[in-house]
Amino acid sequence: MADRRVVVTGLGVVTAVGVGAEEYWTALCEGRSGVKPISRFDASGFSSRVGGELADFSARKYVPRSYRKSVKVMARDIEIAVAAADLSFRHAGITTRAADAEMDIDPKRLGCNVGAGLMCTDLDELGGAVNTAVVDGRFDLKAWGRQGMENLTPLWLLKYLPNMLACHVTIIHGCEGPSNNITCGDVSGHLGVAESADWVRRGEADVAIAGGAESKLNPMGLLRQSLLGRLCTERNDAPAEACRPFDAEHCGAVVGEGSGMIVLEDLDRALARGATIYAEVVGAGAACDPKGFEVTRPSVGSLDLAVKKALTAAGVGPEDLGLLVAHGTAVPEEDRLEAAAWGEALGDRAAQVPAAAVTGATGLLFAGAGGVELATAALALKNQTVPPTVNFGGADEGCSLALGREARSAEIEYVVSGAFATGGQSAACVLKRYEP
Amino acid sequence: MGTVNPLGHDVETTWSALLAGRSGIGPNGLFDASTFPSSFCAQVKDYDLASQIEDAEEHRHAGRQCRFALGAARQAWAQAFPNGAGEPDRTRVGLYLGSGEGSLDFDNFTSLMVDAWQDGRVDIARWAELAFQRMDLHREAEQESNMVVSHLAGELGVRGPAYNILTACAASTQAMGEAAWMIRRGDCDAVVTGGAHSMIHPYGVTGFIRLSALSRRNDEIETSSRPFDLTRDGFVLGEGSSILVFEDYEYAQRRGAKILAEVIGYGASADAFRITDQDPEGDGAATAMRAALKDAGLGPEDIDYVSAHGTGTKQNDQVETRAVKAVFGARAYEVPVSSVKSMLGHLIAAAGATELITCILAMRDQVLPPTTNYRVPDPDCDLDYVPNEPREADVNICMSNSFGFGGQNNTMIIRRPG
Repeated sequence: MADRRVVVTGLGVVTAVGVGAEEYWTALCEGRSGVKPISRFDASGFSSRVGGELADFSARKYVPRSYRKSVKVMARDIEIAVAAADLSFRHAGITTRAADAEMDIDPKRLGCNVGAGLMCTDLDELGGAVNTAVVDGRFDLKAWGRQGMENLTPLWLLKYLPNMLACHVTIIHGCEGPSNNITCGDVSGHLGVAESADWVRRGEADVAIAGGAESKLNPMGLLRQSLLGRLCTERNDAPAEACRPFDAEHCGAVVGEGSGMIVLEDLDRALARGATIYAEVVGAGAACDPKGFEVTRPSVGSLDLAVKKALTAAGVGPEDLGLLVAHGTAVPEEDRLEAAAWGEALGDRAAQVPAAAVTGATGLLFAGAGGVELATAALALKNQTVPPTVNFGGADEGCSLALGREARSAEIEYVVSGAFATGGQSAACVLKRYEP
Repeated sequence: MGTVNPLGHDVETTWSALLAGRSGIGPNGLFDASTFPSSFCAQVKDYDLASQIEDAEEHRHAGRQCRFALGAARQAWAQAFPNGAGEPDRTRVGLYLGSGEGSLDFDNFTSLMVDAWQDGRVDIARWAELAFQRMDLHREAEQESNMVVSHLAGELGVRGPAYNILTACAASTQAMGEAAWMIRRGDCDAVVTGGAHSMIHPYGVTGFIRLSALSRRNDEIETSSRPFDLTRDGFVLGEGSSILVFEDYEYAQRRGAKILAEVIGYGASADAFRITDQDPEGDGAATAMRAALKDAGLGPEDIDYVSAHGTGTKQNDQVETRAVKAVFGARAYEVPVSSVKSMLGHLIAAAGATELITCILAMRDQVLPPTTNYRVPDPDCDLDYVPNEPREADVNICMSNSFGFGGQNNTMIIRRPG
């Protein structure tokens, strides 16, 4: 079978600044930020006390009534993924098993790829059991084995396994094709979209949903990022202004929570059913930095190599790009390295191609980032609009990307979106405007 | 290929042990599990990273699973490129692993929940105060599962595409399947693939015990892992890493590489059934097997040996048997199906890659590894499981199955080189 063409026909976005593709896009273009003081737990013991937190969020709204009990065995990350997947399928107009009607796709032809990160157990949940096995003020393993562990719900482990994001999505929506769960930090979404696009291209699936979700907005998540020294600690009193990617006053990352899930579809199938096509996936590339394991040394994971590969795969050059969606962690040294990588990949064009980063609006989403960044790219193509970079006032030295403070119309035919993860992996995807 | 597992720290030691029917299962020596409903495991014994790689110090922060992977990766790379001969351009080398999380700092993590416990909940402000004193930056950073890929990239100098996945017990088979596709697409000339996992820590073991997934034969530890036997009562948690170097066939031929096997088929599916149970009809598993056969352009009659997922749980072994029958028809009763988990235990994310190595050796030596501890036949599991003794056989094409908790199913088919 000749390679098929793969298009984006649905977007599901769950972020602090907007839930749902259109709501997210509108908020982004208005320059709003969803970063607020953390309220989900007492963050007073942390030096960074703001985050891109989802308000009043539960997956109950996004699952069939019969599945609502199962929300109780979902960690936060899973709930977020399930919500984004539901939004994405609805946005695509695809009838999955979640609907009260017959599926309009053969389940075996429906793939699922949900990136995830390390999920820590809820401390009160585990603590409740742990504290029944305390002897002389200390935790006692023998007491734990004897009876302490019985105080943990039997399905406890399943709440926190990273593959459960994908598993719940496959069960709810009837995805019986290939199902994967990429755990490569901030790069998971890009890798997942690239891989799933290939499933469709080579004929293993006709439709695949891909992206990722994560919430590090919990004590262990915040602790780990704090230990790494990556967080912005200076703007707890002005949270909306805290995350400032590439800006002269960037001062560190802000933890967010969220998900981006994208419906990828065989072009012929999309045309046959009259689907709205947001973009075509025309190229992807990935790379890594062999020194990435030295986590205290900032790295962008050889992003320049990933971008070059993506462009080559797409058959385009830097001059063809109408938009660059950067990752923009807002960690100053990472911003500089990222800008340098774009420069290495795109030459002079790096400082000229209109660019955008969304972390100012959403916070850093880790495994949720790629899906949101690619959804942003797709929306930019559909709307022929370069979104603003929230909190961008002026570039820091060594960060010369053409970011802007206002949304603006532009002719965009190709978008490149790239990201990198702690640990040194990187990936990039090229999307093209679809014209019939 | 390379491996670090409960039976040995290299391929040949492991293979000899498997053919001798030795068990890698014993009392849990990694923490005091004496009162746990399941007190035993299959742990890697006496492993020293410094004996496997040149600069162990450089990787001193690597977690337990990562240390296994570093050793296994160096073995595989050294076998593929002896003395560096024929090493490819590192931007054309990829990594695609199925690796699990790093070692939880159990003592400190738990002490925080105890010391900050107040009125029936964790006082997070107090928790944070203590956490910043007790928790170590590197220990915490190493828990994200992509760190295995990161360390291997460092050890081998890899700069190409790097993926890590964690589809539970299916992870390394899935990793290898997608790694093969990376090469088929021309993204890479070589991919370092396989998996690594170590969940033998109190919370990992607790989690599986609470799911009733583990064997509880505390008084019959050595024979506790009994895939397909009527008296099986769950899997035995193992740990380890197995790493393989996949290479583009033409590239390997041109440089005169010694080819150990050829990857000819891969299939993947999802049960989409329940998070706790497999689809009892085994439809998802059958789908993956059929997809792999189709990819290979083969029929069930071409398969000489099936390396089963065979965990030793009541459910898996029954479902897998049903699925094999559905796919193989009458031939199901002729094709040998064995589970080396009977000896190695279940290496979770690293299981698939370890099992693929046993398939490669089976083809090399024309002998099938047994399913040990097989005494009481189960009427629902009535295939030829190569019980208890290895068996000489014509082995040219092998199928290896890995079915993950949560319903992700993966199958790989390989054939003898030449």
